[in-house]
Amino acid sequence: MKILVVTEQRQAKWNKASFETLAAAQQIAAETKGTLAAAVIGKGVAALADELAGKKLDEVLLVEHDLLDAYTADGFTQALAQVITSAKPDLVLFPHTYQVRDFAPQLAASLNRGMIGDCVGYRCENGRLVFVRQMFQGKTAADVTFQGAAPWFASFQSGAFRADLVAPHASGKASVSKPSVDLKPEQIRTRPLELFREAKQAVDLTQAPIIVAIGRGIKAPENIPLAEKLAKAIGGEIAASRPICDEGWLPMDRQIGSSGQTVAPKLYLALGISGAIQHVVGMKGSRTVVAVNKDQNAPIFEIADYAIVGDIFEIMPALTEQLEKAKSS
Amino acid sequence: MSVQREQLEADVLIVGAGPAGLACALHLANLIKKHNESGGKPALSTENIYVLEKGREIGAHQLSGAIMNPRALAELVPDFEKSAPLDTPVTDDAAFFFTKNSAYRFPITPPPFKNRGNYVVSLSKLVKWLGGLVEKSGVNLFTQFGGAQLIYEGEGIAGVITEDKGVDKNGKPKDNYTPGYELRAKVTVLAEGPRGSLTKDLVARKELDNINPQTYGIGIKELWDVQPGRIQPGFVAHTLGWPVDFSTYGGGWIYALRDNRLSIGLVIALEYQNPQFDPHEAFQKYKTHPFLKRILDGGKLVRYGAKTIPYGGWYAMPRTYVDGGLIIGDSASFLDSQRLKGIHMAMKSGMLAAETIFEGLLAGDTSSKTLAAFPKKVEQSWIKKELWSVRNFHQSFQHGFLGGMFHAGLQFISGGRGLIDPMRSHPGYKAYHKINGAPAPERFKGDGKLTFDRLTDVYHSGTRHEEDQPCHLVVADLNVCSTKCVTEYGNPCQYFCPAAVYEMAAEKGELRLKINASNCVHCKTCDIADPYQIINWVVPEGGGGPNYEGM
Repeated sequence: MKILVVTEQRQAKWNKASFETLAAAQQIAAETKGTLAAAVIGKGVAALADELAGKKLDEVLLVEHDLLDAYTADGFTQALAQVITSAKPDLVLFPHTYQVRDFAPQLAASLNRGMIGDCVGYRCENGRLVFVRQMFQGKTAADVTFQGAAPWFASFQSGAFRADLVAPHASGKASVSKPSVDLKPEQIRTRPLELFREAKQAVDLTQAPIIVAIGRGIKAPENIPLAEKLAKAIGGEIAASRPICDEGWLPMDRQIGSSGQTVAPKLYLALGISGAIQHVVGMKGSRTVVAVNKDQNAPIFEIADYAIVGDIFEIMPALTEQLEKAKSS
Repeated sequence: MSVQREQLEADVLIVGAGPAGLACALHLANLIKKHNESGGKPALSTENIYVLEKGREIGAHQLSGAIMNPRALAELVPDFEKSAPLDTPVTDDAAFFFTKNSAYRFPITPPPFKNRGNYVVSLSKLVKWLGGLVEKSGVNLFTQFGGAQLIYEGEGIAGVITEDKGVDKNGKPKDNYTPGYELRAKVTVLAEGPRGSLTKDLVARKELDNINPQTYGIGIKELWDVQPGRIQPGFVAHTLGWPVDFSTYGGGWIYALRDNRLSIGLVIALEYQNPQFDPHEAFQKYKTHPFLKRILDGGKLVRYGAKTIPYGGWYAMPRTYVDGGLIIGDSASFLDSQRLKGIHMAMKSGMLAAETIFEGLLAGDTSSKTLAAFPKKVEQSWIKKELWSVRNFHQSFQHGFLGGMFHAGLQFISGGRGLIDPMRSHPGYKAYHKINGAPAPERFKGDGKLTFDRLTDVYHSGTRHEEDQPCHLVVADLNVCSTKCVTEYGNPCQYFCPAAVYEMAAEKGELRLKINASNCVHCKTCDIADPYQIINWVVPEGGGGPNYEGM
């Protein structure tokens, strides 16, 4: 069996899952007495190809092109389709990464083949490969095999094989070849922009020493800036009870309570929150609770250290003003 | 976007791991084991039986009083007394009539309330135990998966599609999106409990209804730990009267379990006339009766829950078979509406279904021709006898308590026939009177010790749902809620829902229905009791819902 592993790199740095898949491929090659090649795709990645050549495999394919510098599904699909058509592997293996999820099904389909994704293992049964993948959130495992002619496509789940078990080359290095690929800019329909990393959650409420939480009493989303102003003046994070987040007035990661975050800040300012048990379980560990509510019978007052029976729309601006005055003096 | 679904094939797919579904699975597994051991051909495998359960774990969505008649369990697991979690045998049974301040004990406990020989159980615990036996038998049990759609094929059904996971509020896939599985089976068994969402669809589409529509009650229950010595374990009492008036059908229960644990609840038929009536509030008031207050005082609420009960009986039982499909348990009206007991009948219906399926698998024919044997088996079993004797019972009470007692008395002495047989019934929601400008009643608050507001109770149901998912209470036309229903019925959903899911929020001078779907305890009351029948309960993401451990 002729096996091809498609590795993954970004800006000349390995995606480590590549080596897990390589370890799996080495095992399959040994069991089926097959040959093994591995491909590196990108631009200026010869050093990676050289590193790969030190592993136990027969050949490294260095697939380079200007249009493969940044990842695009079209570019990778077309380049690999050409490589596969000329190299004629029986089995093409990928690590099951986000990038692979993006282009590999398209690649398989462009060659009129199916793909078995996210496998956790394999077996060789009478020369036939059986792949194992999880179903029902891991409660059961399904055996899946290929029908029809090669090449077959499969990807392995991250962690399914051990990267540290990749065997080194027995006698130095494998040969590195550079298959030519023919790509034209107009074939690539997407235009990659600068790489960016999603900003981390701006807020970790569990670490905030002061939390200003709003409830139904805030009435409308237009009123939220009043509370945000107060939060800023007091140096606290804004949070809310479930109805506010449910309405989409604040993001869900700002929700305190049984279906949100559990917090225990030094100061918890509850504005217009009635204090249903679902909310209280998420904040009752707060050191000092100040509650403002119009209804003097609101259950929040049972756990409040300071209770203000009154209108939050009078109290929020007044508090903000006092805090700002205190700060500036 | 067309969705690629993974497919799995099974011999038998059972939707719902309650007493009916699990008894079906276990009995079928036992039959297969015996068959294989005696070298029967073709050999069958218990691994080809799948059970789906939407709850977090087996038993999580099980709620009942519960007094269990052990008849079916003894047939299914002959030595059940050795290992089943039977809390206590019934040692004393009583019936009371309540007025606001007094309790009158019936001098002789009326026959329907006699319970010697039965057990007080936690249905949740019992079902969890039964699930263990099923798992051991090699059957595949999938918790946290609900049946979202039936696969219709030809004249019947060919399986189920499970619910999509990882879909956000607006129906867009999230990072963890997993499309539902397409599970195909030779026989699909609907064991969803009362008002199953797939059963509802199947019965409507294939017009399987009987001469009477199904009618329902809602049971609201709290589990308490009471002060030692207040009540003897095994004492069970049923009450009629206050706070239920004569125009409403309902009653209460108090069952004493071991270790000072008490099950207390109220059942109200979902066919009352006042659309602003609030069953949860009635139950809270019930607990303030001096007789109950004395028992509960100083105790602690442990858990809360609510569930509907099918009252319709024999004449409301839908056709229970189609090509490749059977309906069992509460989904098919296997419940004695006089004694309000269904656990034994649900189990027995599951066992009879298992026998039918077993014969079909051996014959290689699971069409309605073979599956039609199921209702015949029911006819020949003790289920028929028990249901037949009360076939007109509940219908008698649709026009008030006193008339009901009169008819029921005549039925009692005539083996169930009574004056009119079959007695017809109407769907419960048709009983509502219009509010005619009546103001919205003030909401019950509770004292936080003996009585509770709805949200506090919901908290004690342990219910949880992924918040960012499509609303599983699908209202066909929200305009009806904010216009017509406001004036005609005063939005009864706010009152009948025992979990504070429905709320009319005032917004810029207008009322708008707000659905707090994550409070839902899966009781199905809204789907049943909505006056316009525009609420459709569909399964939320698997694993969501109450945690009825110990209920």
